[in-house]
This record gives sequence, structure tokens and C-alpha cells, in this order.
Amino acid sequence: MLSTLANPARFMQLSAWLAPLFGVIAVVLFAIGLPWALIYSPADYQQGETVRIMYVHVPAAWWSLAIYGFMGVASFVGLVWRHALADIAARAAAPIGATFAGLCLITGSLWGAPTWGTWWEWDGRLTSMLVLFIIYLGYLALWSAIEDEERAARLAAILCLVGLINLPIVHFSVVWWSTLHQPASVFRPGGSAIDPAMLGPLFTMAFAYMALFATLLFANMRAAINRRRVEAARLRGMSAA
Amino acid sequence: MIQGGWSYVWAAYAVTVSGLAALALIVTLQARRWAARARALEANKRAEP
Repeated sequence: MLSTLANPARFMQLSAWLAPLFGVIAVVLFAIGLPWALIYSPADYQQGETVRIMYVHVPAAWWSLAIYGFMGVASFVGLVWRHALADIAARAAAPIGATFAGLCLITGSLWGAPTWGTWWEWDGRLTSMLVLFIIYLGYLALWSAIEDEERAARLAAILCLVGLINLPIVHFSVVWWSTLHQPASVFRPGGSAIDPAMLGPLFTMAFAYMALFATLLFANMRAAINRRRVEAARLRGMSAA
Repeated sequence: MIQGGWSYVWAAYAVTVSGLAALALIVTLQARRWAARARALEANKRAEP
């Protein structure tokens, strides 16, 4: 599958129908997940209605971490095997991951205000998540700052790989340090601590975020490939003239 | 139990939906723009003798 997709021409053929397919899946899952989360899921016995913020906050957190991991793998492949499509994939994923990380921080703050009594606290989880968001912005800024795309790809890949160290810090921050943020409650030894009535909308929203990520990743990659084609043709035209 | 809290919930959903919609719109417009330019390039190539 990966080697098939690694050919840009074949990738363009496949993504031409994969991108809209994932788009439709995302719309359907959001159409189910949003009312389920907002109206039909139960309130929490302690947090009341504010628990509904979990359905938009947690998937944003999960996917901002997973997308950075994906970028790390793509950056490694691009750096070691010099595969242009891997660099394109890493760059295409970054604005989506940055948006998810930004939404995670904002919705987390909106959840923290009524439950913790504070919008922000410089504790391990919140600070490491802010660092992840800043790394995303730094990665995007580095790509924009360097005109030579090959050099930009190399340096951005190195930055991305160095930034990978932050992923376990984000994940284990609630274990390593005393923090306001609750420990892992879905994926943890001994099973989920969340009521099954809340897991349904949570996973529906998580899959909706995933489908949206796939759609936008394919669209971003297609835009990058088309842009390279157009710019290469323009350069060929200029050198011929 | 925390009473009320709906204002925080609505704010979180409004930020999320508008943020994701804005991202989707920007990505779609950019993809369409470069696809149109690539198609124009192909058409020019075919038109060349």
C-alpha cells in the first residue's frame, strides 16, 4: 500500500477518490457525533454539562499527538531515503496538526475554567501541549522561511525529529508530575474509566477527526504536487527562453 | 456537581466547528487553485505543436 502510494502519479490517481471519500465519511461522522455529544450523551455526576467539552477536546489532543508522530515517520523517511513524497506528506500534515493542537489548548482552557477554577496553569500536561503547538508553528515557519525546498525539507525534518522527544513528555506528564490534569482515562491498564455511554460519542468524534485529517492531508498533498509541477514547468519555460 | 456550564460548552463547540471549517475551507480552496493551474498547464502542453 505504502510503496504504491509512494509513486506521485499513482498517489494522484488514488487520492483523487480517497480525499472525497474520507470527506464524506468525516461529514457523516460529525453529523452523528456532534448531536450525540451535545444532546444525547449523559451529563457527568461531578462535572455536569461541562463534560461535553471532552468530545471535542480529547480527539483534538489525541490527533495532534498522532499527527506529529506521523510527521516524525514521514520526516525520517524523507531524510534517510530522500523521498520527496514523504517530505510533502510531513509538510501537508503540519497545519492540520497545528490546528488540532490549538483547538485542544482553547477547548482545554474552556473546560478548565468551570472545573478547575482557572483558565491556565503552568503544569506538566498543559505546558508540554503548548510546547507541541509551538513546535508545530516553528516547523511551519521553517518551511516558509527557506526558499530552497530541498534544504527546507532537510532542516524541517531534523526539527521534527528533535521535537519527537516532546510526545512521551506530553503523554507521561500526568504520571511524572503532580498536575491539575486528570491521568489517562480511556487507554490505560485495567480498561477505560469512562462510562460506556460516553465512549460512543467520544470514539465517533475521534474517528470524525481522523477522517477529516485524512481528507485534508490528501488535499494538501495534491495541492503541493500540483504546485511543484506548475513551478517546475515555469522554470523550464524560463530557462528555454 | 457543577451547575450550568452550558456557556463554556457552546463556546468550545463554536471554536471547534469554526476552526475546523476554516481549516477545511482554506485547504480546499488552495487545492482547487493549484489543480486549476496544473490543468491549465496540461492544456497548454497539449495545445503546443
